[in-house]
Amino acid sequence: MVTPPSIPEWLDPSPWLPRARNAGGRMVSNALATESATPADFAALLSPVAPTLLESMARQAQSLTRRHFGRTISLYAPLYLSDYCGSGCAYCGFAADRPRRRRRLETDEMIAEMDTMKAMGFDEILLLTGERNPKADFDYLRQAVALAAERFHLVTIETFPMTVEEYRELAQIGCTGLTLYQETYDPEVYARLHRWGPKQNYMDRVESPARALSGGLRTAGLGILLGLADPVADAIALYRHIDYLRKNFWQAGISVSFPRIRPQQGGFMPAFTVDDRFLAQLIFAFRLCMPDVTLTLSTRESAAFRDGMAGIGICKMSIASKTTVGGYHYESLAENGQFIISDNRDMATFCAMLHRLGFEPVLKNWDSVFR
Amino acid sequence: MDKLKLGCFEFESRLIMGTGKYSDTPTMLRAIEASGAQLVTVALRRFNRERPADDLMGPLLGMKHLTLMPNTSGACNAGEAVKAAHLTRELTGSPFIKIEIHPNPHHLLPDPIETYEAARILAAEGFVVMPYMPADPVLAKRLEDVGCASVMPLGSPIGSGQGLATAGMLKIIIRNSRVPVIIDAGLRSPSEAAAAMEMGCDAVLINSAIAVANDPPAMAVAFARAIEAGRLARLAGIMVRSDSAVATSPLTSFLARDKSEPI
Repeated sequence: MVTPPSIPEWLDPSPWLPRARNAGGRMVSNALATESATPADFAALLSPVAPTLLESMARQAQSLTRRHFGRTISLYAPLYLSDYCGSGCAYCGFAADRPRRRRRLETDEMIAEMDTMKAMGFDEILLLTGERNPKADFDYLRQAVALAAERFHLVTIETFPMTVEEYRELAQIGCTGLTLYQETYDPEVYARLHRWGPKQNYMDRVESPARALSGGLRTAGLGILLGLADPVADAIALYRHIDYLRKNFWQAGISVSFPRIRPQQGGFMPAFTVDDRFLAQLIFAFRLCMPDVTLTLSTRESAAFRDGMAGIGICKMSIASKTTVGGYHYESLAENGQFIISDNRDMATFCAMLHRLGFEPVLKNWDSVFR
Repeated sequence: MDKLKLGCFEFESRLIMGTGKYSDTPTMLRAIEASGAQLVTVALRRFNRERPADDLMGPLLGMKHLTLMPNTSGACNAGEAVKAAHLTRELTGSPFIKIEIHPNPHHLLPDPIETYEAARILAAEGFVVMPYMPADPVLAKRLEDVGCASVMPLGSPIGSGQGLATAGMLKIIIRNSRVPVIIDAGLRSPSEAAAAMEMGCDAVLINSAIAVANDPPAMAVAFARAIEAGRLARLAGIMVRSDSAVATSPLTSFLARDKSEPI
């Protein structure tokens, strides 16, 4: 059984679901006032709230973000190395059973793409591949990490679950962190959307961030693909997953991303709609309950939403992203990307906007001497 | 006012400024200028020689009256901190190194074991070592013994604004220390900085409270004045707190008073 029939107890959101459905103003106000948030507080903060309460959440989120991260926004960009994939996720434009011309970056192309990204100013790169497959396997990824580590101070990967030994090998050559979204913590929905391929294995994916941190990676980025399943239940399970990692890996830097399903090849229709208002509330809830965790927003979101959320919860953003294989140095067609980008601004325009909003864009916030 | 002595260096100002968390570099520079601070700390992780717009070191090196105290923020252990210290000395020419080893990137509390080890190595190599440390009186003496130029205990966690939450321990550190005691983190308002100086610490390092203020240069001035006031008050001799009223014309004034005794 690769997918458990029910969610493991330590991730189970159900004890807090009633509270998240109908907490009411007082419970939410209490959660806002608490100094040490519990999962119950987090659940209450996800409940339907009046606009005045949402404004209170935003103000407190802003104050906490400012206190912990200052008036700065860290920037990074993704580099898709390959769109070959070994899994058939129902919602993904790169799924292995979708007819498309596939490609991967060869060594000289990786170097050209990375050098262009470096020249744009990036000092943190996120390397992406599809699920493990012969065209983009561990050895291929290891080569890409080594090239990236020669150029960037922070090198993180969003690829496929690996063994502790594999993560250790990547850490030793300069990989600093991983991003791995569970997509959904609901085992039934997970099984329905991942019918075949290695990604069928729910627990292998759940346990992957812990293996990465055991192997010596410093940071773990988690998330859910909002829209696949009940976002409230998924958010509580994600909260519990992070809580677990923080208690068991006390040196780990944890970040959370909030990807909403975007239009992509294949026309997948999400089961749940996550509107701007709920997404903002979700981000505020994470900031209020985990004041020191990095919260990230990608170019999946619109310029207006990103500008609005900057500094009121969010402290890190991607910009000038390409979701195609390569695309920074070599031309690429946006419609061939994993998903369609919503915020298409270039680096200079975006940084000028951040400055206008009173934020310093920070490109380098680490040093390779620490690895 | 008397001078702050760190190793063989002397400073008029007892306000040490941090350089992170500002909305932009010009604001940071204006705040430093306004504060009159002469010693500032800057993280190696924010040095970016390839991209001047993202670099904090270059603009600070341009302010010739400043002494830079690079810090090792980001280091998780003594080995990483020592490597970072070597690099910052090469890049800035400063003999100062502020050891910051906080293996947990969320609460940023200093690791006492790794901090001690890094301090031992770097002091032996001739650095002016300034260790950010937990408010632990025993550790303070151990760091002093290995040759640190000061100790920098935290008032409360970095960026927390909880003020002098460790006051009880700080008083023991101050009472026992032979090197300057600098309160390094957690102060929220100028009154807390004044309280730290009145308590007897030798200097205060402020970052978040100034950087995230609506008007950082004005807040920098406010802190500078509070620190000066606190120091003056400490030197002037602060009245002892008493539960009962004390007559301004004491009954025992006819008894001879030992002139060397503080009032």
